[in-house]
Amino acid sequence: MDKTNDTRTIVIDPVTRIEGHAKITIRLDENGRVADARFHVNEFRGFEKFCEGRLVWEMPGLTSRICGICPASHLIASAKAGDDILAIQIPETAELLRRVLMLGQWIQSHALSFFHLSAPDFLLGFDADPATRNLFGLLANNKEFLRKGIRLRKFGQEIIAILGGRRIHTPWAVAGGVRDPMSNEEHAAIAAWLPEAKATVLEAIDVMKSVNDRYRKEIPNFGNFRSLYVGLVAEDGSFEYYGGGIRVMDGMGNTLADRVPPREYARLFEEKSEEWTYLKVPYYKSFGPAEGMYRVGPLARLNICDRMGTPLAEAERRTFRQLAGEQETVNNAFFYHYARTIEMLFAVEEVERLLGHPLIRGLHVRARAMINSMSGVGACEAPRGTLFHHYEVDENGVLQKVNLLIATAQNNSAMNRTVRQLAARYLDGKEVTEGLLNRIEAGIRCYDPCLSCSTHAAGSMALHVVLESADGTILDERKR
Amino acid sequence: MCLAVPGKLVRREDGSDPLMGTVNFGGILKNVCLDWIPDVRVGEYVIVHVGFAISKVNESEALQTLQLFKDMQSGSHVSGKSEAVQRKTT
Repeated sequence: MDKTNDTRTIVIDPVTRIEGHAKITIRLDENGRVADARFHVNEFRGFEKFCEGRLVWEMPGLTSRICGICPASHLIASAKAGDDILAIQIPETAELLRRVLMLGQWIQSHALSFFHLSAPDFLLGFDADPATRNLFGLLANNKEFLRKGIRLRKFGQEIIAILGGRRIHTPWAVAGGVRDPMSNEEHAAIAAWLPEAKATVLEAIDVMKSVNDRYRKEIPNFGNFRSLYVGLVAEDGSFEYYGGGIRVMDGMGNTLADRVPPREYARLFEEKSEEWTYLKVPYYKSFGPAEGMYRVGPLARLNICDRMGTPLAEAERRTFRQLAGEQETVNNAFFYHYARTIEMLFAVEEVERLLGHPLIRGLHVRARAMINSMSGVGACEAPRGTLFHHYEVDENGVLQKVNLLIATAQNNSAMNRTVRQLAARYLDGKEVTEGLLNRIEAGIRCYDPCLSCSTHAAGSMALHVVLESADGTILDERKR
Repeated sequence: MCLAVPGKLVRREDGSDPLMGTVNFGGILKNVCLDWIPDVRVGEYVIVHVGFAISKVNESEALQTLQLFKDMQSGSHVSGKSEAVQRKTT
């Protein structure tokens, strides 16, 4: 699984990542048609090795400190892997609180993706001048809308801050539960946000639907292909984000694997290292690397579930499903955006439901045990897709092996395919035009990948697109 | 996974819309949007995602994280290839 035999090993200075570009290679065939496209993600790969030799109890704090975009998701996946190693059932209140924390992460992350990263594409158009097709251009006419987006994200951030004790990288969730219960004041503080948050999300969904209408002609080119979909579903098949089992569905709506315990993830998926990317590229094992390409994240989650657990989001899911017709799944990456807004609605409704649970303010939030299992897997749905933490420990809890399977890696093959499709449609001759660059950027953005945190200027992806002939000669390249 | 490299806010452009500022990442200066955390002060550490400062980190947390990156750099490696090697093979 790991590419330890690679002799061309380099040391990555985190600072150099600040200046990096997301590199894309488009290769043409002998007839000048698009043959292949690759989205090179320069992800950091040393982390898993670095963790070996540490104690399993350190992992929630460590992983959430390292991963900047969704620390709460790593916190939960790591704590759950720890639960598995202790082989205990955590108190019900602890699970409810972990769920609230995860929804805070979703709201925060989805709001940023929708209002600040994607809205400029939607509201200003793909062919708008790149100098204004960004947050600044958007502010000119949509100030109030953006302000609401900032408030919505703040709500998610507040949940994380309130539960995590005012620190973002906090080991609040631990193997066995969480450290602190929820006080009455904290409960009231979160509840006070709900009406405003719900109103904002409903408005976002309205905007999203009008965007779906306006771009009806463009949308079919945005990563429109059948793939497998992977995510968690609850025991009864409904939408899940914290517990449940893995469901794998194909692009025609057939369920291939259902409610598989996360502990058995390696039975379903294989990871292969590719020489063109730092990411391990996972695929559905029984279909092989090419056919086994799968997508995770909002689009996948809405495709695989039988129903949402909350009324407004369920009504919206039914509308979403109509995009696919009777049998099929929604196979168009553009609808990741729509799925994301529906998930925001679910998150707000679900926080409301959880706050009303009689045990949410319970005081018993942590169970304690010794190492009872030498191996543990924790899975949860991070904003961008299913996240797996797999640890192997010795009898003292010292980590012998760590494997993390992250959403952006799982979506990498589909992102390549999306870029290929856009290039096939919008590449004109042998030149990388601004219009092509814009659409590639928008195509990748559907997946909201967690790229190196700081490589972009306020919302504009730092892209380096290289166009190659069949023999590898560079025909054109464009950077911004 | 993406790395959360904390940077120090060295300048705020008060009055700009959106609110922008300059963040120093170990000597590299980046212009970032501060709208998500408008109360951030010069000298504070922030985590930046796609050009947006998404959260504040207190100084001791930030320094611990930076130390962690240093440890990773000296004690471990990245499997894969450098940009230069990639260019040759793709």
